[in-house]
Amino acid sequence: MSAENSTAVYSGLGAAPGRASGKAYVIRNSEDVMAIPAGSILVLRILHPHLAPLLPRVAGLVVEEGAILQHATTLARECGIPAAVGIQDARNLIEDGELVDVDGYTGKVTKRHVD
Amino acid sequence: MRDEVKQVSNKAQAAATSAQPYRRHIVGLPLQRSLFVQAARAATRIGLPGLSSELDFPARLDENGDLFLDRSQVAALSKALPSWFTPETLELMHARHAAACDALVDASENGARAAVSLNGASARKSSEDLANRMALVLAYGILSKFVPDVLLRALVDAGDVEPLPFPETSAGADLMQNTFALYQACCVLEYTPQRLQREWPRVSPEVFRLVGEFCKRQTGFGSLAWDSPGYEDPNYVIRLLHSAFDEVNAEQVRRRLSFAKRPVVARPTIDAPTKIAALRCVLGFWLDFLERETWYVRRAFYVGMIPLLKQMATEYRRQIPTFQSADLLFLDVRELIGGIVDPAVIETRRRRYMGNTEYLSLHGVEPSRLATVLGSS
Repeated sequence: MSAENSTAVYSGLGAAPGRASGKAYVIRNSEDVMAIPAGSILVLRILHPHLAPLLPRVAGLVVEEGAILQHATTLARECGIPAAVGIQDARNLIEDGELVDVDGYTGKVTKRHVD
Repeated sequence: MRDEVKQVSNKAQAAATSAQPYRRHIVGLPLQRSLFVQAARAATRIGLPGLSSELDFPARLDENGDLFLDRSQVAALSKALPSWFTPETLELMHARHAAACDALVDASENGARAAVSLNGASARKSSEDLANRMALVLAYGILSKFVPDVLLRALVDAGDVEPLPFPETSAGADLMQNTFALYQACCVLEYTPQRLQREWPRVSPEVFRLVGEFCKRQTGFGSLAWDSPGYEDPNYVIRLLHSAFDEVNAEQVRRRLSFAKRPVVARPTIDAPTKIAALRCVLGFWLDFLERETWYVRRAFYVGMIPLLKQMATEYRRQIPTFQSADLLFLDVRELIGGIVDPAVIETRRRRYMGNTEYLSLHGVEPSRLATVLGSS
């Protein structure tokens, strides 16, 4: 049996509307993009257009890059994937497998610690 | 999204005093790094008329490929730009931006066509032209980190209430669709991504042709760093097919793609010379450019520059029998154009590059990668 025992909330900007929850998958290098688990919340510095074919397997996006208009904005909005941008240092704040909620309307990202 | 625009501005100013690199390890090869020297002072480089050069900001790459921008100057330029926006200046900005992109595409294709008939000196001259055009588009790429937000803020301030002029279908959505089509076509021929990975390049002629044509068409998609594998490389594409569509059914892909078919938002042409219309037109172009900025420069390298480098390398091999085509990637643009080749300098730079394991790991560069790159076109 598991229970949620704490949360951490990070504020960015809502870049693509919608809400999504799932396990975080952090992209640190080019090799990581080749192993994205289906249904994950992708945490990355920036979403480049060449990663577009991987989006059907992604539930939500957490992006460090701060500009409201950037690669991630167009792609995520086009594909209906909730996205929060401008979450500074997200790749260090969030670890692989942690449960994350993304609110693409407000830009709020909630990390839930579960025992 | 419009309510968030002011927050962006505040964040940019909060970061203005940071001395940290703006981006780490973005580009490692000396030839590509030297293009940023030409692209520095981006606003001046693209020739915004009447804009004081004092408002421009220096951009530089260090030897690790880290990009440094003067963030306080970026903030100052962001603040100053809106007062410069008039229908006339915006029209000029749009025309120059579009011309820079078109000229790079033309120069890339021309480089590819002409290379085989060029001698070393002519190849150097063509590479100078291509490098200049790449540097110009790179300057727009540097500005793209904040100019679209400035344009959006100006639109909001001007009272525009229309939906944002996103491209009807972006380059990324097209790529998704085409990659999925390749996946489906290969599966029909009984080549799953797993089988492709196992058997490539010893696959049926039809599958070999399908993958090869896809790579040729999509060359340019990939990381900004030329040495990082991208869509020009069949092995990269095959791995991507496996990663993208494993455990994902066709319905999920279609659902994402159906989102991509957005209703067309009327994007005013520059013929409607109101400030809002001009801002929307320019912003629309930048939004499309955001999806293609890396493609322009990467494709220019693979399609246009590599054939020229091969011609130059052939000439150098007559003087230095051990010279390899990939050695040219360790020259800077000035040396390349001037024909200044010093094997000792190249070796020093190569060692430094190969020793930057953090960069190589970040970009997935294997030891044999550079030889592959120069053999790939």
